Amino acid sequence: MPEYAVAGGIGVLLVVGAELAWFRTGIFSSRAYWIAMGICLFFMVLSNGWLTKLSAPIVIYDAAMKTPWRFPFDIPVEDYLFGFTLLTLVVILWEHQGDSPSG
Amino acid sequence: MDRYQYLALLGVCLLLTLPLEFVLDARVYRRPRRLARSLLPAVAIFYVWDAVAIARGHWTFNPAFVTGWTLPFGVPLEELSFFVVIPICALLSLEAVRNILDRGWRSFLPRSRSVGQG
Repeated sequence: MPEYAVAGGIGVLLVVGAELAWFRTGIFSSRAYWIAMGICLFFMVLSNGWLTKLSAPIVIYDAAMKTPWRFPFDIPVEDYLFGFTLLTLVVILWEHQGDSPSG
Repeated sequence: MDRYQYLALLGVCLLLTLPLEFVLDARVYRRPRRLARSLLPAVAIFYVWDAVAIARGHWTFNPAFVTGWTLPFGVPLEELSFFVVIPICALLSLEAVRNILDRGWRSFLPRSRSVGQG
């Protein structure tokens, strides 16, 4: 079973659910969030493309634990689920703390 | 030097995003408590995810490109660093984008030193 794909999917569902049902920071309605995520996606393709390139991988995946899809370059599609979950979680936590100008 | 590649990549990410803190006034590093409270739960959760993934063989690390400094449960130092660095870059991006949207990009240009500027 592609456990990494399943874990990634669960992560996305949990973080989206946490925002919609619990934290309610409003980020999914925020232009700044989506633009920032788009920028991060671009740089993720560059940096993660480097980490996962099959010619000289820094991170090596077990094919049995993931889907066969890598795009673009050699980036496992599951990495986008992982990255989205990580970044969205941190943004939610940041936003949840409100707008303190210092500290 | 190859074994520093992963760390070097993270260092590049921090360097490239550093201007966002000062030029675009992101104030992420300058809100350290808020930053710490945003990072710590995520770092904890993703450390566990990584440890489980490594234990179950989802992924491993090419020994040629990591330092070999390994934390408990087989998690490379580089991975812990990843969970700190990448979210910092995302928060810097978020705050910089927000500031541009709120204040307009022109507000971040250097002030002209010429006399009589309108």
